[in-house]
Amino acid sequence: MNSFTLSMVLICCGGLAALFLWRQFLLMKAVAVGFIGIGCAVGLTDALTKLLHQGSYAVSLKYLNLFSLSFQIDGLSAFFLVSIFLVSLLAAVYSFHYLNDSQKALRTAVSYLFFALLIASMALVVTAANLITFMLAWEIMSLSSFFLVIYDYESADNRKAGYLYFVFSHVGAMFILAAFGIFYGNTGSFMFADGNTMPDSAKLTILILTFIGFGSKAGVFPFHVWLPHAHPAAPSHISAVMSGVMIKTGIYGIVRLYASLGLHTPLFGEIVLVAGMISGILGVVYALGQHDIKRLLAYHSVENIGIILIGIGIGMLGVSFGNPIMAVLGFAGGLLHVLNHSIFKSLLFMGAGVVIQKTGTRTIDMLGGLLKNMKITGITFLVGSLAISGLPPFNGFVSEFFIYLGGFRGAALDRTAFVLSIMAIVSLAIIGGLALACFTKVVGVVFQGEPRRPDVTAGDEKGPAMLLPMLVLAGLCFIIGVFPRMFIYLALNAIPVSGLGYGRIPMEPFMQITANITLAATVFFVILAGVVALRLVFYKDKTIGSAGTWGCGFTQPTPKMQYTGTSYAASILEFFRPAAPLEEDHPAISGRFPIKTHYHSHVHDIAERHMVHVVVNPVLWLFDRLRWIQHGDIHLYIGYILLAIVVLLFFI
Amino acid sequence: MNIPVDTILSLVLLSILFSFGSSRLPGLIKVLAFQGVIVSIVPLVIGHDLTTGGILFTLATLTIRGIVIPLCIYLAIKRVAIRREVEPIVGYHASLLAGLGLIVAAVVVSHRFEAPSSSASVLLLPTAIALLVAGMFLLMARRNAIAMVLGYIMMENGIYLVGTTFSVRALHIVEFGILLDVLAGVMIMAIILQNIKQTFDDVDTALLRTLKE
Amino acid sequence: MIKSLMFWVLAIFLAPFFSALILKVKAFFGGKKGPPLLINYYTLVKLFKKGSVYSTSTTFVFKLGPMVSLSSAVTVLLFLPLAGQAPVFSFNGDLLFILYLLGLGRFFTIAAAMDTASPFEGMGAAREAYFPIICEATLFMILILFYVLTGELRLAAYFTGSQPFGLWQMAGSPMLFVVIALFIILLAENSRVPVDDPATHLELTMIHEVMVLDHSGPDFGFIELGSFCKLFFYASIIAQLIMPFESGYLALNLCLFTAGLVVVYLAVGIMESVMARYRMDRVPKFLLTSFALAFFATVITLEFIK
Repeated sequence: MNSFTLSMVLICCGGLAALFLWRQFLLMKAVAVGFIGIGCAVGLTDALTKLLHQGSYAVSLKYLNLFSLSFQIDGLSAFFLVSIFLVSLLAAVYSFHYLNDSQKALRTAVSYLFFALLIASMALVVTAANLITFMLAWEIMSLSSFFLVIYDYESADNRKAGYLYFVFSHVGAMFILAAFGIFYGNTGSFMFADGNTMPDSAKLTILILTFIGFGSKAGVFPFHVWLPHAHPAAPSHISAVMSGVMIKTGIYGIVRLYASLGLHTPLFGEIVLVAGMISGILGVVYALGQHDIKRLLAYHSVENIGIILIGIGIGMLGVSFGNPIMAVLGFAGGLLHVLNHSIFKSLLFMGAGVVIQKTGTRTIDMLGGLLKNMKITGITFLVGSLAISGLPPFNGFVSEFFIYLGGFRGAALDRTAFVLSIMAIVSLAIIGGLALACFTKVVGVVFQGEPRRPDVTAGDEKGPAMLLPMLVLAGLCFIIGVFPRMFIYLALNAIPVSGLGYGRIPMEPFMQITANITLAATVFFVILAGVVALRLVFYKDKTIGSAGTWGCGFTQPTPKMQYTGTSYAASILEFFRPAAPLEEDHPAISGRFPIKTHYHSHVHDIAERHMVHVVVNPVLWLFDRLRWIQHGDIHLYIGYILLAIVVLLFFI
Repeated sequence: MNIPVDTILSLVLLSILFSFGSSRLPGLIKVLAFQGVIVSIVPLVIGHDLTTGGILFTLATLTIRGIVIPLCIYLAIKRVAIRREVEPIVGYHASLLAGLGLIVAAVVVSHRFEAPSSSASVLLLPTAIALLVAGMFLLMARRNAIAMVLGYIMMENGIYLVGTTFSVRALHIVEFGILLDVLAGVMIMAIILQNIKQTFDDVDTALLRTLKE
Repeated sequence: MIKSLMFWVLAIFLAPFFSALILKVKAFFGGKKGPPLLINYYTLVKLFKKGSVYSTSTTFVFKLGPMVSLSSAVTVLLFLPLAGQAPVFSFNGDLLFILYLLGLGRFFTIAAAMDTASPFEGMGAAREAYFPIICEATLFMILILFYVLTGELRLAAYFTGSQPFGLWQMAGSPMLFVVIALFIILLAENSRVPVDDPATHLELTMIHEVMVLDHSGPDFGFIELGSFCKLFFYASIIAQLIMPFESGYLALNLCLFTAGLVVVYLAVGIMESVMARYRMDRVPKFLLTSFALAFFATVITLEFIK
């Protein structure tokens, strides 16, 4: 038995075992986490070895004597498998102390089952070699994650979020299915590998349809509406997996089809690039306006999907305009960002999970000063924030650096590529600045300063199983940021070279870039060490005093006076008001004895706002008109069935 | 490539951006005066016809475009004591970004035309188109009547530049006719403004809607 | 290499001197004698001699802030060519690293400000997070222009040898717009008038100064030194653009470069003397103007060379 199959079996065993052992809460968790963890570790090592020794591995099984279920692991699949197994492994470990309510033992057991199914189906999605297998795995993935989203089904909000997610993932799947139908109709084959025999117009239709379908899974604007609802509803380790890796299967789908169809028209690259820019900027703008820490992180997923799409779009443009270096830089940057985002985003969701578990609230403006009691969570969250803002020497910078280099290559080309590259570079710069603003807000308001409410304070941080994954992830952020050589090598191996019509990618120039990043980071650390040493010298034998913060002359400051996250983001949101309309609820203070007032603000998502008018209302109207079909008369229903059979007989 | 012409024309384009960004009428008038002066010396720099007649015509347009019309408007707002804000419908940030987009669009569109002037300067036609559209934009995006008049004048500058691209002999005569029309228009505007002001105590064009009943 | 390192050390040591020029100019306009030209050195020495008082609200981030911001500013100078001299380090894409490293310094300055739980510092932090977003867009726009002109993404490639003059030759007059745009960025990034007033008295109207209210002693000295270095970085870029001559002699180059620097610092001083600070909500428009200039210069120039 090869190790990939072994890891699948182990993971599924973990999920099933949890169901049988649910009466022993701790044992059940230990067994489930153990099996899933070992399975993921086996899969991770397997994927890494396959990625390092390039080559593809294929398996095929017969299913119902009709279709064959075939799987294939090439560089691209192996690369996505690495991030899937890595994050799932750590999320499983994290869940051991996170799911600690023994009252909900059965529910926890069921959630482990679906968690195992989710991991296995994600792995199968990225290894599927034909359309049927892909679709099957895709549906299992959507359904299992749906059940994980409604883990806390008592809350009406969570049920609504689950419903929204269900609708979005299935409408998306319908688009993919339609595209696959065209695929089969034109080629007569279910294999991805046979994609390039179609006429160009069919290819373009397929690419655009699948872009919508995969985009709604990945959270591309304007199909991202489910994300900010589903992520806060799900338990934090599930959010980490969903946001960290599950939405990346959408990216995988886009890249896989692009490579297999081999249609190098600039149009599709342009669509991807523009969608990336819009998702990137609007994602982070909406993130700035959120009050709920998990919603905020969910919008950051939209932003990072945007960055990934910018990278991939630059790569596609590079292919279309015959500039291989630009193409490789773009794809390598985009793919590395897939890995990077899965690392820092799961780190941030886990950190948010600890905060929520210890304080009992998700509202940013109610928290404060958590860093003092929650050192490890605070520091790892800080590292994650630096990484997601794309700052050196952390991993976000490396992938953005590659994307920038690709973009600059494009700026030297002719008109269309030039204009798009300029826009891509400037939007990356704006995204970087906005992400910095957003995460200084989160870190500053949640972890620094003083607790804003006396009743919402941090307890101690306990639960080594929760802290260990975060430390590992923070360490990875740092290692990739300083020594990106190995990881760029992995990303380069993942580029589907055959689909782009390139032979082998010469590694040397790209390794040179990573060496430069390492050099620059080292220089920075040497200087930082120098400054630290200087500081030690200056503070030798000095008196260090301690006092309250200076209130600028005001003598009775209270923690309530601290700047809130809402006011921190207000002026930036004002700039983006046309795209992010702000609704405020604040009865004015009036009269000599004013009554107590309150302030509530909400930043509207224009996609969500317009979805109601553009999609929901017309669909409702249409179905209202069709209601007569449902009349409740059994005889006519039988008639429908007969009619359907007759019609089918005629046409097939 | 023609450095002096292109420098001058890039100044014209820059003046569009500044006019979009300026929030006060006197500033806007100054920008327009500056633009008028520069636009009218363009034919001289291109060197279509450096005859005495040509130079004279140029000087005459310069005086009217750069000095007389702005001065008229400036005096008009002084006399009727209009509010100094241009009262934007589209905000300044958005206007600035729109200005940038407009310039890029003008550059792209100008490649569609086979203009005979492309030997003189690559920027001439884009600038002319940008001026036309920018004038239109000012007309639509500002509520203040004077700002709208200034937008109209900017459009006229654009038309003049379009004329320059086709170096027809009769250019100056036609152009001069238009300019006199504009001058007359500005004069009439000054008078009407005074009337609007007397009637409504304001020059907000939105108030004209109340005349409906 | 050794020479470049010496230049780097020299730059760090001279940065406070040039900043004092601004104070002198302002004093001149105010009809005062003004502080001595070495005032910043006196201040730094005084600060380094002192101890510190820390707020009870703060954590280790508060102490990390000054160190990271100083290190980032000093590291950035390592990549900066001075007076036509090659910098200590240079690689393809070092400009991206520089811009993001300055971002890292900003992140920690903001984090240190948020650490104090002071409402005023939070207000300053919010502004510090907002305005540089537009500045970065402008800088990237200028970078695109330079990249298309020279085909290089190294700071050293633009300012060593005969290249600065080459930039003017290729781009022509739009380069003037680039200089103006860069000057606006300099004013905004280094919190000078009209974006921020380093000499104002009211904490509500400050950006940078209010964020460092609670720092004291050597920590504050680090912050001051870091901001001198950052100002020097931007000023020397502009200086090398407005004095784009390469004489072949080091001494003459150095004179030209110093002259350029003096011009830039004097210009900052004159700006501060004749202008008032903008209302906070006007600042984005001011910065957008710089973006418009840079964008415009890029579009125009690329029309030229095509």
